Amino acid sequence: MHVALSGITVRFGALTAVDDVSLAITPGEIHAIVGENGAGKSTLMNALFGLVEPAAGAISIDGTVRRWTSPRGAIAAGLGMVHQHFMLQEEMTVLENIVLCSEPVGRFGFVDFAAAHRRLKESADSHGIVIGLDRVVGDLSVGERQVVEILKVLYCEAEVLILDEPTSVLTPQEKDRLFAILKSFRAAGKAIVLITHKLDEVMEIADRVSVMRGGRLIASGRRAETSKEEIARGIIGGELPAARQRRPRAPGEVVLSVDKLVAAGRGMAVGPITLSMRAGEIVGIAGVSGNGQAELVQALTGLRPSISGAITLCGVRIEALDVERRRQAGMSYIPEDRQRVGLALGATVAENANAGRDDRAAFSRGPFLNRAAMTRFARSLIERYRIRVGGASARASTMSGGNKQKLVVGRELARATPLVIAENPTWGVDIGAIDFIHGELMRMRDEGHAVLLVSTELDEILALSDRILVMYAGRLAGEVARDEASRERIGEMMTSRAVDALPEVA
Amino acid sequence: MNSGLKGLLRGELTSWVGAAASIAVVLFVLMVLAGAPFGEALSGFVDGAFGGRRFSYLLTTLSRTALIVGMAISVMLSFRAGLFNIGGEGQLVAGGLVAALVAIMLPGPPLVVLFLSIFAAMAAGALWALLSGVLQLYLGVPLLVGSLLLNYPIRYIGSYLVAHPFRDVQSGMVQSHLVPQATWLPYFPGTRLDIGILFIAVASVFAIIYSHTTVHGYHARLNGLSPDFARAVGLPVNKLALQTLAMSGAIAGLVGAIAVFGIHHRYIDGMLVQPLYAWTGIIAVLLVGMIPWLVPLSGFFFAAIQTGAAGMERTADVPKEIALVMQAVIILFVASRVSGALLASSGRKASGGGDA
Repeated sequence: MHVALSGITVRFGALTAVDDVSLAITPGEIHAIVGENGAGKSTLMNALFGLVEPAAGAISIDGTVRRWTSPRGAIAAGLGMVHQHFMLQEEMTVLENIVLCSEPVGRFGFVDFAAAHRRLKESADSHGIVIGLDRVVGDLSVGERQVVEILKVLYCEAEVLILDEPTSVLTPQEKDRLFAILKSFRAAGKAIVLITHKLDEVMEIADRVSVMRGGRLIASGRRAETSKEEIARGIIGGELPAARQRRPRAPGEVVLSVDKLVAAGRGMAVGPITLSMRAGEIVGIAGVSGNGQAELVQALTGLRPSISGAITLCGVRIEALDVERRRQAGMSYIPEDRQRVGLALGATVAENANAGRDDRAAFSRGPFLNRAAMTRFARSLIERYRIRVGGASARASTMSGGNKQKLVVGRELARATPLVIAENPTWGVDIGAIDFIHGELMRMRDEGHAVLLVSTELDEILALSDRILVMYAGRLAGEVARDEASRERIGEMMTSRAVDALPEVA
Repeated sequence: MNSGLKGLLRGELTSWVGAAASIAVVLFVLMVLAGAPFGEALSGFVDGAFGGRRFSYLLTTLSRTALIVGMAISVMLSFRAGLFNIGGEGQLVAGGLVAALVAIMLPGPPLVVLFLSIFAAMAAGALWALLSGVLQLYLGVPLLVGSLLLNYPIRYIGSYLVAHPFRDVQSGMVQSHLVPQATWLPYFPGTRLDIGILFIAVASVFAIIYSHTTVHGYHARLNGLSPDFARAVGLPVNKLALQTLAMSGAIAGLVGAIAVFGIHHRYIDGMLVQPLYAWTGIIAVLLVGMIPWLVPLSGFFFAAIQTGAAGMERTADVPKEIALVMQAVIILFVASRVSGALLASSGRKASGGGDA
């Protein structure tokens, strides 16, 4: 099934999210669409799938122009989409989820689950997919849930499969399994569209690459005729930032030591965890999201009570202190969720910048705020961290994701505490901001601060960390020194016990 | 900033015009159905709210405004801090009850008694509000539920006290004795409006200054905008919550005391509950999106509707229930506004994944 997009334009108010993009999707090909966040790649595919209505342009399938205003029409036309956020009913089984909305109706109007089971088993087997159809979705790992989403699309007999950032939640091994399935689809003559920002994956699997930037299609062509560097230049619209120089540095005093820390987690306790960090090192915590990293960070920052164990920060026992006192003891925190935890979006930039400052006297006069001092401080952050925003009195919600994150990073790093906890600090920000934030974290390390970097992006961990700890199922599964780290080794630790725990899936 | 303010003003203006228009339409339809003369009803309404001989009705409106605005200011402080304290009624009753009892029982120079009673009333309101905060923080009862439920015990405690131990039996009503006449709040010269409204004016000015210029108000607002954020940057959220609740409750208690010393001069069972001061206050705050300086205007608007409706009933024979319908229309309007804002913010969150 050939799909052709011609002159697609999508506007959200004054913003043109997709600007006159024409693209062809060919059967038997894996077509990667790459670009930064906000480049318009997801919006383009949402327009194809009927989730947003294009302001201009046409979609044609096998040469006939088609129009639809909801995913229903798109599905009927043979399109299927796996979203970044899964849309599954946790309480229901895999089979029930898959047949939902297009149940095979048997005689007397009952759902014929047996027939559906047979049919699904067949198509799953033909693509080498192994999954228990009768298991409850709530018990599945993230990787398995993604397989369920793919089966759903398969069940609807889609000929064009769109996947939006499918590997962002997967371990390297799960990613390999996914790619094997995609290759099998390609061999079966289906067209696959892969939205991603990871160039290694593009080089590994794509047949055709389209690069988007600022809503426009910058380049589109066969993967074999381009290079990773060329694609990267297309994505950022300029030269790549220079590779970071790493100064060798002997670690200093112990800044943080965590001894047999146990924290309450969802359903199970996280821990016991024992680790220590020295001044002037970046310790990376790798792992698939949801393996206890969030609980560990919250237990360290005081946002979640710890059940047992000890935390010592700069010689002070802090496990019983509240957030404010822990921060005063020498901790800053860059949270993962800048929208809710990192910032108060309804408040101004100045109000956000001054929240949690240690020297309250610097922005107050008695019980009153010193607005001028608050604005001055916010301006200094805006300047130093090159935040693009209307001004100190603009609302935080008016900034782009990268600039929001820079404000959070700036506010926290400006406190210059011995310990910095950074939780997925570059999640969903553009390459320029990633480079800047990484640079700031390295600068902190070089200046002798201890940085705890919790990230689900293995590349980020590998690029920055002096030591790497891997978390799995609420515990530290192992430690790797920088020189010995490799994707494979860490990937194994991220799942080593997954094989034991879920033998029927592996 | 400037364009933001303008946009805000324009937004507020459209919403007020929208409110007025929808009320007018519903009213018109109702009157047509009831067969009431529209022009007469309208002039009765305007006269009842703002007119009267020597503006006596306007003064009634102002007297009511004082209580509604007081309660509105009280909830506004809580709401802005993200605390859904809907127990204003209980805090109001606690204040009124304590004010009357202290004034009745405490001997001494009238002015001292008056001020001690007002102080006691504020303390009582604060304590009652704190109780709901303690229930939330230490027993896990959500504030929305706890504060609401606490409205009932204090109301019946009040009923009991003035029905039995402190009842003015001679009057034949369920009410306390009069507080000493020397403690009554004086009227403005030549009017029947007591000076209680000045206390409310001071409280309003305090609330506006507090909200915009103090460190405490700033922290409370951050907590209101995003509780997770406030916790993560180390604001003392529990302390903030309790202090803010105490402040809210104290203002509610003050309103109770003003109702006693300025209007009723005793505690009458139900006098603070039946006119729905606390609930009207909540609606008045929500209508203006918790923007401090608009709260007094909004409170005046609601007071005018209520007294205007009474005037309409007198002159045009339009049942007062019409006014209740009007209020309901306004509540609906507020509800749609609030839910609209909620939808907008959740939409922001949804699109926030990619960061527009």
